[in-house]
Amino acid sequence: MNLRFIDWIWNVQGSLPLSAQTSSEEAFDRLAPLFRQVGTNYERFQNQLRFAKKDPAAQDKMAVFEQGLLQVEQGEAGPVLTYHMRSRALLLCFLAPLLFLAFGQLTIFAGQMEKAPVTAKAPEKPKAALPMHPIDQWLGAPAPEKPDAKKKESAAEKKAKKFSPTAAYVFAGIFAALYLIGRFLEPWLVRRLFLRQLALEV
Amino acid sequence: MQGVRVGKRIIGADAPVNVGWDNVPRVEGGPVKQFIFTYFQPAALFALLAFWYYAPNDIAKASTGIWIGIGFRVLLLALEWVNPRFESWQLTWKELATDLFYVGLGYTILRLVDNYIGDDVMIEAIQSHFHWDKLTWFVTLPLILQGFLIAFIFDFGQYWMHRGMHNWYPLWLTHSVHHYITQLNINKGAVGNPVELFLIGLGVGGFFDFMPRAFLIAGAFRLGIGTYQHINVRFNTPVWWRFLFNTTEHHSIHHSQDYEATRSNYAGDFIIIDRIFGTCVDGEAELLGMEGGRRMSIGEQMTYPFTEGWKTLKGKFSRPMAASAELGPAE
Repeated sequence: MNLRFIDWIWNVQGSLPLSAQTSSEEAFDRLAPLFRQVGTNYERFQNQLRFAKKDPAAQDKMAVFEQGLLQVEQGEAGPVLTYHMRSRALLLCFLAPLLFLAFGQLTIFAGQMEKAPVTAKAPEKPKAALPMHPIDQWLGAPAPEKPDAKKKESAAEKKAKKFSPTAAYVFAGIFAALYLIGRFLEPWLVRRLFLRQLALEV
Repeated sequence: MQGVRVGKRIIGADAPVNVGWDNVPRVEGGPVKQFIFTYFQPAALFALLAFWYYAPNDIAKASTGIWIGIGFRVLLLALEWVNPRFESWQLTWKELATDLFYVGLGYTILRLVDNYIGDDVMIEAIQSHFHWDKLTWFVTLPLILQGFLIAFIFDFGQYWMHRGMHNWYPLWLTHSVHHYITQLNINKGAVGNPVELFLIGLGVGGFFDFMPRAFLIAGAFRLGIGTYQHINVRFNTPVWWRFLFNTTEHHSIHHSQDYEATRSNYAGDFIIIDRIFGTCVDGEAELLGMEGGRRMSIGEQMTYPFTEGWKTLKGKFSRPMAASAELGPAE
């Protein structure tokens, strides 16, 4: 299956110009500390560096990317570092709204499956007003509502609350927003990280 | 590592733990910052209590409580950026997305499951079976006391559930996942296997749902105290507060990489319960987690209790057979 129309969802690609004197070996020497992290394996071969991560640490600056390939190529204006990295976190975040929408539909379905509430109930005996402690009266706390005055929540209203899909829709929206933020933030952060690291003296 | 003797136990023999309050760092910065981060916690708690105590009846409802809870957490999230406790606990996009996934589970699928097998359903069944008249004597107490007692009774139950999780292997399997978190942030309390999240949410609150205001005041106690368990903010917590209430410091010890230290500070809100039962350790830890701080993926967090349980069962029942096979027939 050709995924090239959708793989931008979980792939991050980019390139950075290197100074004319920088060799691939020198560039990877400078970037190497980024890959000396817990759960990271990497190998260098000629002008390429491949890495793979398993359970990266929370503070690993490249924790979002599970695998990637970095290459130093000769461009028209000099050497260029190109990178292509995959992120399962971005993919899962992209799919998360669908999961929460499914939870919403499941909640609606569960509500429909619930038996219709029995409306004919034995008359309830009248309840006495809730007492109030003298300390609360003295401090001026509002008096509790009289049970009769309080609008009795109907069984249908209770059911609607119990089986409301609103929270699921809200979280679907939150994850859609999180994906957009992550899709722009993480490539920007990793590019900045590479730039800073390449500027360091080995 | 030598560790420090606390009662009968040696704390910090496996991983660094700062035992006691003497070496816990203070808030750095000018007088305004010092003032804010010294008095924020008590001021927020008293403000929440006062709000629920005096709010008119048409405002004092659960939906208001949910919005206050969300707003308070957003404020604390901002404080994590302003004054982090540890740089090594800073929130990243991936950590935020992971934490919010669990918060989302709590508000959606777990709530749906709760409709069928949650504590409210159980309590309703108990009440209708025994014809209990819902503890009506309780409403004659002062409101704040009612709220405090509801919160305290809930936390007392949580203390024993939590302690049980650290002492009984089947329960530990579900709870262990939560101990793989390697840093504390505002939504980290939601991270865990769904089975554990269901178990730890069991409480007695349903017995008191006929007193909405006291119930909301109990929520204020929980929000104004328990929220600080998982948070990356440095506070100069007052001495009286950390004697009575759980703090980030206490909970960081509970999550440390040191085995003995994790077997302490079980209470959610009232650390005084740990003091009563001899399980309290004062201090702070920065290095958190299990297996040397290995971060567990969401997929593994979902399956770990079952795969580990299966491995244990297989090991237990296959060993005698393997041993007898090794013996071979007698000659």
